[in-house]
Amino acid sequence: MKQAQAREVAEALFNQQHSPFGGFGLGSQTHHAVTIPDAVRRCRWIAMDIKATGFALFFVGPSAERARLVPCFDSDYPSVALATKLMSGANSEDIVRHARVSTGPLWWADDAVAGAAAGFADLAWVERTVPLAPGSAGIAFPVHAERGQCGLVVFLGSEMVLSQEALYEIHTRCFSLFSAVARMRPGEAGRVGSITKRELECLKLTANGCTSEDIARQLKLSVHTANQYLTQSAQKLNAVSRTQAVAKALRLGLIE
Amino acid sequence: MTASAAPLPSETAATRLASRGDVTGFLMELAAEVGAESYMLVAIVHDQARDDARIVASNWIFDAVELIGRRLVAALAQGSFATAPGIRPQPLLAAHAADMDGLLTGEETKLLDVLGHGELYSLRLNVGRQRLFVLFSSPEPGRIEREALTRGQMKCCYALSQVPELLAASAAQDPLSDRERECLFWVSEGKTSDEVALILGVSANTVNGYITHAIQKFSASNRAMAIATAIRSGII
Repeated sequence: MKQAQAREVAEALFNQQHSPFGGFGLGSQTHHAVTIPDAVRRCRWIAMDIKATGFALFFVGPSAERARLVPCFDSDYPSVALATKLMSGANSEDIVRHARVSTGPLWWADDAVAGAAAGFADLAWVERTVPLAPGSAGIAFPVHAERGQCGLVVFLGSEMVLSQEALYEIHTRCFSLFSAVARMRPGEAGRVGSITKRELECLKLTANGCTSEDIARQLKLSVHTANQYLTQSAQKLNAVSRTQAVAKALRLGLIE
Repeated sequence: MTASAAPLPSETAATRLASRGDVTGFLMELAAEVGAESYMLVAIVHDQARDDARIVASNWIFDAVELIGRRLVAALAQGSFATAPGIRPQPLLAAHAADMDGLLTGEETKLLDVLGHGELYSLRLNVGRQRLFVLFSSPEPGRIEREALTRGQMKCCYALSQVPELLAASAAQDPLSDRERECLFWVSEGKTSDEVALILGVSANTVNGYITHAIQKFSASNRAMAIATAIRSGII
């Protein structure tokens, strides 16, 4: 049982996102490095516990217009499984809408997979949906992370086992997996780190409706300096205007 | 597949949550399951550049809410001890609350303790983009079971997912029309009025009109504030 113990320890490490009494507010983050291979391994452990043969993690695109699933990784990592490609295809609109407004897990079983996942029918809170990929059976857990990111953790297999008790535990683990993955998404994070406290203060005041003059008065700066801070923060956030800088800072959770 | 033992009351209720009364009933059952004496379901809304708490359901005594105040309830729900699903719940212990980043004054801590919230958990619920929190508390530390609490957090998420319209009515409202929302979205992406006009195929004047309306509806003082308000309430 050594392996099981090691797994528990590893998972506990992975879960340490908030120091219990530390000063981490919402929107701040630890600098705990987690890589995609770590996340894949972690997801595989969850899959093993429910006897799933495949898994995949998707992001749900933030834009209202383009409702689609963006694959992050799956059980064929580093390549991409066929099922994942099918799921991120055209017919995912309904499930994207569901994931945005609901936490309820969805399961499906194609008629071609005889007797698959019949056990899900007895579970409370779980709903049946149309198959995400033809000829498959699976269950999808909607997940959310701190900064409004939304995603879906999907498990596939014809002989999955899930009890009511385990449902909560598995979904909870999916949540912590997703928030770890969401925090390491590449892109804005690196450069945003260099944004200063003063620049954030100016952004925050702008978000509250202050003009440069108001900011200058409140922070006891010259109007020129206030503008300078806002220009710099816009550059660091890769924004074209201060309005977009405010929007980006809010969406990234830099300001509340 | 082994079916678990007799379903808990909160689970049999699973399929028939429809009204505000159902939500209250569900929370009462859940509070009993986790060993908590009090519960409170709070939606955080951003109003006039400040956070405010809209209490959806609660069995806190009226005096407690009055004395503590809704702004503080909002601060309490979002305190650093609040945990999202997937993170082990951490209590706020009134006895040690003074150590916690100046969230509460000594007086307020005493008040919480006296009013029967000596141990308080704040669990973040992820239902859509709303900022929802459920608070469970008991007079004495150690009565609430953390394992049950973790399960309870998921159950709450599931249950509230079933009544989106109820929460929408009591939480952030979306006063915007589709067109106004679209315009605000594109402006938040850094587009100028001329560019938005091009994207939507209308004139720049029309775009400015939509944005002005949106600013008025939020009683904001400028575009940046209107956009901030819209993002904070999860509209765009």
